[in-house]
Amino acid sequence: MTITSAPVTGEATKTWSGRSMPRKEDGRLVQGQGAFVDDGGMHGQGYAWFVRSPYAHARIVSIDCGPALAMEGVYAVLTGEEAKAMCEAPFFAIAPPPGSLMQEWPLAVGKVRYQGDAVAVVLADTRETARDAAERVVVDYEPLPAVTDGVAAAEPTTPLLYDEAGTNVAWHGVYDYGDVDWALENADHVVKLDRLHFHRFTSSPLECNGAVVNFNRGTGVVDVLSNYQMPMFAAMVVGPTIGVPMNKFNFVTKDIGGAFGIKIGFYPQIAALALLSKKAGRPAKWTEFRTEHMLSAGHGNERTFLDIEVPVMSDGTILGLKARAFDDAGAYLHYEPLGAVIWSQVVPGCYKLKHVRVDYTEVVTNKCPVVPNRGYSRMQHLWLVERIVDVVAHELGLDAVEVRKRNYVQPEDYPYETPNGCIYDSGDLPRSLDLALELAHVDEWRARQRELGTGSGRRIGIGIGSTLDSGTNNFGQSRIINPELPFSGNGEAAFAKLDLFGEINVNLGTTPQGQGHETTAAQVAADILGVTPEDVTVSTGFNQANNSYVGFSGTYASQFAVSGLGAVMGAAQKLRHQIVKLAAFALQAEEEEIELEGGTARVRGDEERAIPFIGLANMVYTNNAGLPASLLSECDLNARYVYVPPFEVPDTVAKTGNLTLTYASQVHVCVIEVDEETGEVKVLEYAAVDDCGKRINPLVVEGQVHGATGLGIAASLYESLDYDESGQLQEPSFYEYHVGTAMDIPDVACGDIESPSPFTPNGAKGMGEGGGAPLHAVCAALQDALGGGGAVVSESHNHWARVYELVHREPGAPRGVEVITRSGGLANDAASL
Amino acid sequence: MGERATSHAVTVEVNGEKVSRIVAARQLLVHFLRDTLGLTGTHIGCDTGNCGACSVIVNGKLVKSCMILAAQTDGATIETVEGLAQDGTLSPLQESFHEHHALQCGYCTPGMLMSATYLLRHNPEPTDEEIRRGIRGNICRCTGYVNIVKAIRAVSRRQATGGHAVTAAAGEEV
Amino acid sequence: MLLEQVEYVRPQSLDEALEILANDDGAAPLAGGQSLTNVLKNRVASVDVLVDISALGDLAGITRTADGGLSIGACVTYDELDRSAEVRQSHWMLGEVAAHIEDQQIRNKGTIGGNCCLSDPTNNLPPILVALDAVMELRSRSGRRSVEAADFFKGYFATALEPGELLVSITVPQMPERSGAGYASLAVGADAKAMVRAAARVTLDRDHATIVDSRVVLARVAHVPTRDAEAEARLNGADATDDAVRAACAGVADGMQPITDVHGSSEYRRQMAKVMARRAVDQAIAAARGGRNGSSAGGN
Repeated sequence: MTITSAPVTGEATKTWSGRSMPRKEDGRLVQGQGAFVDDGGMHGQGYAWFVRSPYAHARIVSIDCGPALAMEGVYAVLTGEEAKAMCEAPFFAIAPPPGSLMQEWPLAVGKVRYQGDAVAVVLADTRETARDAAERVVVDYEPLPAVTDGVAAAEPTTPLLYDEAGTNVAWHGVYDYGDVDWALENADHVVKLDRLHFHRFTSSPLECNGAVVNFNRGTGVVDVLSNYQMPMFAAMVVGPTIGVPMNKFNFVTKDIGGAFGIKIGFYPQIAALALLSKKAGRPAKWTEFRTEHMLSAGHGNERTFLDIEVPVMSDGTILGLKARAFDDAGAYLHYEPLGAVIWSQVVPGCYKLKHVRVDYTEVVTNKCPVVPNRGYSRMQHLWLVERIVDVVAHELGLDAVEVRKRNYVQPEDYPYETPNGCIYDSGDLPRSLDLALELAHVDEWRARQRELGTGSGRRIGIGIGSTLDSGTNNFGQSRIINPELPFSGNGEAAFAKLDLFGEINVNLGTTPQGQGHETTAAQVAADILGVTPEDVTVSTGFNQANNSYVGFSGTYASQFAVSGLGAVMGAAQKLRHQIVKLAAFALQAEEEEIELEGGTARVRGDEERAIPFIGLANMVYTNNAGLPASLLSECDLNARYVYVPPFEVPDTVAKTGNLTLTYASQVHVCVIEVDEETGEVKVLEYAAVDDCGKRINPLVVEGQVHGATGLGIAASLYESLDYDESGQLQEPSFYEYHVGTAMDIPDVACGDIESPSPFTPNGAKGMGEGGGAPLHAVCAALQDALGGGGAVVSESHNHWARVYELVHREPGAPRGVEVITRSGGLANDAASL
Repeated sequence: MGERATSHAVTVEVNGEKVSRIVAARQLLVHFLRDTLGLTGTHIGCDTGNCGACSVIVNGKLVKSCMILAAQTDGATIETVEGLAQDGTLSPLQESFHEHHALQCGYCTPGMLMSATYLLRHNPEPTDEEIRRGIRGNICRCTGYVNIVKAIRAVSRRQATGGHAVTAAAGEEV
Repeated sequence: MLLEQVEYVRPQSLDEALEILANDDGAAPLAGGQSLTNVLKNRVASVDVLVDISALGDLAGITRTADGGLSIGACVTYDELDRSAEVRQSHWMLGEVAAHIEDQQIRNKGTIGGNCCLSDPTNNLPPILVALDAVMELRSRSGRRSVEAADFFKGYFATALEPGELLVSITVPQMPERSGAGYASLAVGADAKAMVRAAARVTLDRDHATIVDSRVVLARVAHVPTRDAEAEARLNGADATDDAVRAACAGVADGMQPITDVHGSSEYRRQMAKVMARRAVDQAIAAARGGRNGSSAGGN
């Protein structure tokens, strides 16, 4: 056999996993050669522009498309009624009734339910013409009263968004674990908080949504080139609505300019574009613009907690919590009410709370629909838990560090089962906290705080945010919302292939948006295949035609390091097995004798007996006459593997089960300075300690920590989405929505602890969302700055005016907190509880 | 150019190459670069001139290309991200962004690099505060700016020790 | 991002520009475009023709006037103000205010004329210009006139400019001896749009002990930059001490009705106006004593 040298370069086999290495993706991105959605297109495409409602709530009396259609260059206009007539069903509902009665179609039908609701979409020959024409679509609205308060929405007297549902409550359920009534009756103290409010904001990826959709009338194939981050979810929702089976969709993503969960929300636009394309007979390209994004792409969940009661022992042991939660889903149930269960992945937060009851109500309001937003649904609850722990410490005069350490799940407790059956896999929270305190120079800041005293007009505050990033969902939790849903478990698929000239290619079902999957997947595959990461090409983005996907494919919910890399490992190992088998045949050796190094298979200890990968590829692809059929059938050099995490279906009645596979932890410490005269807050020092198990590429992991921290700090101090009473968004563009800049967001000192997960193939845990730790830490720092007897920091967003109010609270004004101390309660032996 | 009209002939030099086109008066420079010239490295992240993803250098001045009309640039010399690398060699800033993991999704990166390039041309050894001021107009949602500041700082230090030129891009002397 | 159909013209001279502006109600001067472009993107104003005045020599440059003041062309950019040695020498704070307008890209394009003519109450330069007794020089086809900055700003997006009239330059008189200027903003983020601003100018007596003259200008509290005459009256003759300044500024903005929005209530803004005014006056006193402003090196 003649063998030419394979185009495989690089060093000999090494352990690439675990190393900080700069990313393979960067070369194209720093040169402006990325392939973002608006950079591409399809032949013959028109440009789409959505006509959106200026009203929050109104009846659509009439739509006149005539003036728009009369314009030169306009291909088509599609209205909500027309779109509905082309559909087979409304979008699939996650909720049971009454939520399932809150139907959504690709475009608004009959009524608009938020400012920015799409009533029609125009297709024209240029971007400009599309916008010009959209302005000439004449819509006659009859305004209706707007519902903007997420708690009042549930009142029976409040106007309805969906008459057919008869209520604005989309879902309601009680999560009841342990015996909170007993704990409240027997605790030494009960700390009561009236109201805590987690605000609405968006991580607002810098690249807005976009899609080019072609409905090919001849083949029935719908091509979707988009930056959607969970393509098969879109296919599953859109397909039955517009009557397209899965095997007629071709979803493709390339480079994605950030997503943070927000890019799970635009499936209605994809459906509308598909119908528009079908109607016009040409591809429809839509590039969302920022104001459109702020109004309609999706916001993070706003949640109000009421009537919070916390049983606490005198030594600071917190027994549990009780609260009512009202989650405001906005106008349509895009991904909701999944958030109504997803929070329960972290019921006790980082702590050993045993008795928890949360009465949870999901409502609809005349606001932009919510969609997953980095830290989705868990961060709201984790913020509640952190506020509680912090307030308990302040109210009982205990040290905030000690209260946390006392209540943390301890290193020896893992695997730790939470009251609802989730298994925390590993961690070391006390050490994480110590490290964070050290990195933030807390001792020095405490001294400076004392020095400053009162009367200087400035206050220093030090706050801790302990949080969890639960990763790799068990989709069986959706059945706690709706037992009829056909979902459970999770998974991800990958292909590893040795190509004709010995090239190695990996593709998988994820849709990275900056997380560096091309690099980390290459690191993992390189270790298994005895090459360098440069030798492994990882396809950019998702391509349905690759067939490397499962129903849950995508990049969301902190799971890539587990499910994505689990799939890559499996595929690479399968490919390795085939390579070894072929090499053993070619080199007349035993499989056990074959080693892979530098792109060559060789017999251990015999340098003469070696075959490069190109030779093996040649045997299979182009030179296979005479090879044993059994060998060829086993070794096609195309290895597909699906990683499936070990999950059971949760108990939908008790609302228990293991809802996520891994729990990365974050402990953040924040030092702030408050200007008493104005309420301005400046972050003086910030430290973050992340424990996500074994890190595949620490450089990338640290980048994720920086990013989650930056977004959280910005959300806590600068970014908020507010509606006025008529349902008008007050921050509809980056002009009003002040996104944190390089001058607003401080440097972050990072520390790391690696507590490998015992449940994952590589010891890694999903990470990246970060659990909203900065929101917790900033609020705690503010609480610290207010000092004993101060008002409770009850909002997750604290702009200057709010801080000013907190600092200048009238003496005797309500503080929002009450402590009831019981004499003769249980003995202080918390361990017996 | 004296005549008032809805379209105008413009001739510009982009990354060292002279191009002439007829542009609509209403076309923004960023759309001219992206849609007419196919230079899609310059990005659009907002519609109010706040995000800086479209930053380019026109006649030596850093500007947001969504805040000027293409017609206004007749006769101008324009530098975009596509011109930073020379003959396949990344500029020191591009290299440093890569080494320091100063980009994640990469969407803000072209504009960020143009701002950093401009900054170092005018202030070769900026303090951290000056670096942050220099990129104040460029929003990044992925990195918290931590590694971006680090990457720019690293280039300026190298420069201080006489290592690399600030940029290989066309235009002014450093 | 996509503008309405519009015409564009780049006149070769100021007279040509004035001619076009005089003949067409739908003509809008385009200088730096850092606000106008947003207006056009939002399609909230209808413009027939954009008259590009950004390259007109008559509107460029900063010159020293015979009496030691500054004449600043309407198309001088914020960056030019920031970096101008002339400005820094005689009116340091004017350069400093310009240096903190948003970001480098905007400072490279945005002009002092545009900042004033838009009359957006959040804009940075109007209050400091009022505090410095600046005079706006206007031209039209039929002539020229001067309007004091304090009278130029008429309301939200409204100025004293008549149709066909163009702001061509701004004259900033030399500051009296022993004078200094101050400026304080309360903003949502660093160098961002302000909730409240205050600009101040004070002149001290020979001993630097007493305030002999003052300007206290509030912005974003009313629709236009507003001098607080009562505060000025309290300051004039007062000791240049923290306590005296605090007392004089305690009544600032009383009776005014600033807006309430998501960033804070009217009452909060009123309180902040007092704080910003006091900080601006304190700065101005320090500057007057330090001779870093207006009063030249001999000011001490």
